[in-house]
Amino acid sequence: MPTFEHGEFKVEVDEDGFITDPEIWNEELATALATTEGVDEMTEEHWKLVNYLRNYYMQFGIAPMVRKLCKETGFPLKKVYEMFPSGPAKGACKVAGLPKPTGCV
Amino acid sequence: MAIKTKKRVTMKDFSTPSESLAEFDPEETIDLPAPYDKIEELPGYKQMKEGTRDRLEASLDDTIAVGIPKPESKEEEEKLVEAFLRGLHNLFSKENNWTFLQPLTLSMEHCARCQTCVDDCPIYEASGKEEIYRPTFRAEVLRRLYYKYEKGGNKLFKKFQQGDIDANWTMISRLLELSYRCTLCRRCAQSCPIGVDNGLITHELRKIFSMEMGLAPKELHEKGTVQQLEVGSSTGMNKVAVMDNVEFIDEDMTDRSGIKVETKWDVEGADVLLIHNAGEFLAWPENPGCFALLLDAAGISWTLSSDLVGYDGVNYGLFYDDAQLARVAMKHLDIAKKLKVKKIVMGECGHEHKALGVIADRIFSGSIPRESAMTLMEDIVFNSNLEFDPERNDFPVTLHDPCNMARSMGIVEPQRRVLRKLAPQFREMTPHGVRNYCCGGGSGFAIMSGNNFTDWRVQVSGRKKFKQILDAFSDVDPGPETKKYVCAPCSNCKGQIRDLFEYYGATEKSGLYYGGLVELIVNSMKLLKEPFIDWEMM
Repeated sequence: MPTFEHGEFKVEVDEDGFITDPEIWNEELATALATTEGVDEMTEEHWKLVNYLRNYYMQFGIAPMVRKLCKETGFPLKKVYEMFPSGPAKGACKVAGLPKPTGCV
Repeated sequence: MAIKTKKRVTMKDFSTPSESLAEFDPEETIDLPAPYDKIEELPGYKQMKEGTRDRLEASLDDTIAVGIPKPESKEEEEKLVEAFLRGLHNLFSKENNWTFLQPLTLSMEHCARCQTCVDDCPIYEASGKEEIYRPTFRAEVLRRLYYKYEKGGNKLFKKFQQGDIDANWTMISRLLELSYRCTLCRRCAQSCPIGVDNGLITHELRKIFSMEMGLAPKELHEKGTVQQLEVGSSTGMNKVAVMDNVEFIDEDMTDRSGIKVETKWDVEGADVLLIHNAGEFLAWPENPGCFALLLDAAGISWTLSSDLVGYDGVNYGLFYDDAQLARVAMKHLDIAKKLKVKKIVMGECGHEHKALGVIADRIFSGSIPRESAMTLMEDIVFNSNLEFDPERNDFPVTLHDPCNMARSMGIVEPQRRVLRKLAPQFREMTPHGVRNYCCGGGSGFAIMSGNNFTDWRVQVSGRKKFKQILDAFSDVDPGPETKKYVCAPCSNCKGQIRDLFEYYGATEKSGLYYGGLVELIVNSMKLLKEPFIDWEMM
């Protein structure tokens, strides 16, 4: 497995840079992962989105549907892309430490 | 198309270690119309990350679909070769391959090597006739193995007549990757004058790797069928998650349509058990939402199932593993029986159609009928009391035929009758129906995206389809102001078309959008005060 190294971190990730063990996630790691997604600074809005994803994942074991994410955080999809240029699934979920989405999605 | 003689790759080369047998060269692929003809303006082909080649087997074509770790020792390598040869033996034995042994053997023994089929392969053509993608190349590897190891007769004579092959790990690891460079669209089988099925041969190769060696793309196996059988869905949605999502979809649909939408769960004795590809709930929620609205409006007695596997019609086993296919199909059958429904209706998902409708027929053995959503929708549009206003769909629409529905099952007319009635600017692609081209994401490719595989499927396997889509709209304003709808009644195809449009920037440059069939039906329903389709949300 490839590893992601940044500062003090050295963690196992999959081929697309998603951490393989969601349990090891913490805010410092999120900030480090964000740098791979072109996010230099995690603003309050970034955290709002990441925390929403995180809480949803803790409850349901998967990432939420994009429509729901937009409705419940109040961020239009365009705004999500502005915050995380690779989008909600590939960008925001990666920073929030969720596994890569699976199935026909 | 750039004309350049490709390097010939022999069977000997295939077994001989080298860095790579083929490489992607955009200059050699088939040309796309403007504005997609400028190679330098496209994002390019993603190269494998540094170090990947040291860890994973990648000596086929600088691309990775499966990504098997390199054996750590000579012994491990030998064990893998032995496992492969054992698997080869089982593939050609009646006890172990009761499903497909007969057509496989016929395809092994009767190919006349006339190469008629090769011109019909969209991957071979789009790649600029890359030798290793030729549909008969892969088949020839298995054929030589079959004659060398499985078919009786004089060894020297067989070697002379059928050609030799060296069954070493280099060959086997390449063959594994090569079995994931064909979308199983079976266009080649259709053009064979004697019915040899090279698509089936690819499928059977994947079975050796999965069923005998435990080697399959993780998206199909570990995160696919295994997760589906354990959690309930290949998307990872358990019962609580899917019900929560559907509740959200119902509310959203009610808001948008002004009609109360309420999905039914686990209704015993319903006429219809509707099974969607569960990817719809997450990625294209308006699709199941529209079905709920339409079926209620038409007065149909229907239900979804919240049972494990009952709310996910996918059956990736169809692509790579007969045992996994049977396990999932058995669950679908048990749930339908338990609910005492009159029939199962298969949602807008091509491979669900083939798995449940055709391959699982022996498992169902006449107990529960399965119907395509295409004919159900046709019936509603033509025979119900619902009224439609086609003017609401007055934008250019073309139709993509999912291979499993059209070529494999002959479901061609129902969806067209609906579009001819409800979409005034409907136009066909060329060719279409049973002669269609695959979206390029068939056989599970649309959900495989590790390493640089997405680049391969948007630039090679999906290239012909993208060109076909552009050509279908060549008579209208090419710019983004004129919104164009590609109707693709299949979740897998939609995923691939989304990735094609994203890679080429087709929505921004050409106003290309995609969606299912049911959305167009609901969009034109007079019950709704306004059209339902919102381009901003697509």
